[in-house]
Amino acid sequence: MQKVLEVKGLTKQYTKVLAADNVSFDIGEGEIFALIGPNGAGKTTTIRMISTLLKATSGDAVIDGHSINKEPEKVRECITYLPDEAGAYKNMTGANYLKFMAGLFYTDPNKIIECVNRAKEICGLGERLNDKIGSYSRGMIRKLLLSRAVMTKPKLAILDEPTSGLDVINAIEIRKMIKKLAEEEGMSFLLSSHNMLEIEFVSDRVGIIAKGHLMVTGTGEELKKRYNAPNLEEVFERVVIENEIH
Amino acid sequence: MKFINLLQKELKELINAQMILSLALIMLILMFVGNITKGAINDTIEESNNPKINISDRDDTDFTKSLIEVLKSTGAKVTEFDTEGDDYADILKTNDIKNLVILPEGFTETIENNERPEVLTVSRMTSASAMSNMSAGNSGAVALIQSSIANTIASNMGITPEELELIENPVVLQDNTVVDDKSTATSIDNILNKVMMQNMILPIIVFLLIMMTSQSLISSISNEKIDKTLETLLSSPVSRTSIITAKMLAAAVVALINAAVYMVGFSKFIQGASTEAVSEIASDVMGNYVSVDDAIKQLGLSLSVGDYVLVGLQLFLTIMICLAVSIMLGALVNDTKSSQTVIMPIMVLAMVPYIISMISDINTLPMAVRIIVYAIPFTHTFSGISNLMFGNDIIFICGLVYQVIVFFICMFFALRLFNSDKILTISLNFGQKSKYNRKKSVSKD
Repeated sequence: MQKVLEVKGLTKQYTKVLAADNVSFDIGEGEIFALIGPNGAGKTTTIRMISTLLKATSGDAVIDGHSINKEPEKVRECITYLPDEAGAYKNMTGANYLKFMAGLFYTDPNKIIECVNRAKEICGLGERLNDKIGSYSRGMIRKLLLSRAVMTKPKLAILDEPTSGLDVINAIEIRKMIKKLAEEEGMSFLLSSHNMLEIEFVSDRVGIIAKGHLMVTGTGEELKKRYNAPNLEEVFERVVIENEIH
Repeated sequence: MKFINLLQKELKELINAQMILSLALIMLILMFVGNITKGAINDTIEESNNPKINISDRDDTDFTKSLIEVLKSTGAKVTEFDTEGDDYADILKTNDIKNLVILPEGFTETIENNERPEVLTVSRMTSASAMSNMSAGNSGAVALIQSSIANTIASNMGITPEELELIENPVVLQDNTVVDDKSTATSIDNILNKVMMQNMILPIIVFLLIMMTSQSLISSISNEKIDKTLETLLSSPVSRTSIITAKMLAAAVVALINAAVYMVGFSKFIQGASTEAVSEIASDVMGNYVSVDDAIKQLGLSLSVGDYVLVGLQLFLTIMICLAVSIMLGALVNDTKSSQTVIMPIMVLAMVPYIISMISDINTLPMAVRIIVYAIPFTHTFSGISNLMFGNDIIFICGLVYQVIVFFICMFFALRLFNSDKILTISLNFGQKSKYNRKKSVSKD
């Protein structure tokens, strides 16, 4: 499988806190990779470095052959990023928001229309796209933002806590959308979540991160087998305990 | 193309129905208040030309009757009232009048005894407003009574009216005003009145623009930060300079629209407060030989088109500095509450020159204070018109150059902030831990 993302020893040191410590992993084409861990584990910091929002103290990440340190502009052309609990411009209609965002990626009007149409189809909001985003529910905004994140067919879509704050029905719909896009269109995803049971369902491989350290990576089944645990939550507990003992 | 897309988005965010409605409302209010002021001034002028005199003749002699006839002969609308006692509030209320002149009993006898008689005046105060309490009735009546009695006394003493005029006005006053090496035969008070009206508009507009543009840009950036749309923008394939420039340009365009509306609105308002009638009366009273407008031209106090362009340029620079500072302040905000308080530094920096320019001339302040005040880049715009009017061109040009330097310094830091991690990690928490720092602390635990 061709590698879309290769993370090599990414480290972020704030004045007093080591938020990410020598994090390394990779993601193949069409693969869904999830970083899991509790709040404050370093997931968002790692994701923000890969999204070129934060500069790494050391290490690098290469996305589709472009380094985040040397070619951040090129990296931004092949990724999309959906922040945790992100909002959208409340005074814009959903359709105008999609058009505006597509206009940041393309200058060709036909390409922009193509992207918007694709997003409209994915989000399934129908006529509500003509309403202002301020009138949308949380679930509708999340669907709109997710469709925005995938409408340009990025090499890598980075989704931070994609289902946080959503009800069960909306969360299931979002997970299905992600899985479908990866399976049918070969899109790669980097997700983060502290909901380990959800990640078990949606991801191909997971990386368990705690206190800034990426402790272990593998498929859900591999990890459950290795740590003799019934689910990822217990895998996480055992990984953390094991690392503390050693 | 991508920049146009960003600019359109920013303009649509700022120019909305709410903004257009509020501008239209401000314009209407200013025009309405201007018309009210104009009406009040015209009423006062009308009253001073044809005063309404309410008089109560308690002496009831031939002399007082002739005095009232003299008042009537001047064109004043004289109404006589029968009153008694000293409950003046009740007298005004009963007769439904605002003022009254009372000629008390023994008034004529006192004059005949070559003593000074008493004249009582009563005025009702209805509010703290100067305009609503302004009445020429009593003062006009008293002046006419004084003059009539003076004529009577003079006549009794064998003094001719010409001799009396000489005694009352022994000198002929001719006012001259000098600015630098130019002079004109006009009173300084009269010129100041007109010039002050012109100079009042700019500081008000500058202050309002500074506050409004800062608030709108700080809100724009803080909202993007709070909603995390900024993270989406920063991770998209557009340069950060484009993002920041689009925001600033949109805010500047909106500021210029606001400036135009305020300029027209305040002009209408000021026009109301400085009617031609006022100038004419002032000219008559001061005995000027040159009209105020001509005097202003003779003194070189009128501004040319080039001067207005320079003032406009300075105003634009002030707005741009304000926007560059607002970008940095907006980056500090992590919640809606602090987005309202973070504007404080700009407000203070605008307030100081605004107040000083309204009550004093900055150039006459002690050197140390002047340096401090001129170090505030906004000061140069507040004092811009005054500096150009009074030939302080060097101070004006230095101010312009200083503003350009300050703008580039502010932009340098704003761009540096936008191009660094700090745009997402920096915050102003007033002792509280930010969401971001809380996360870091958890990580540490």
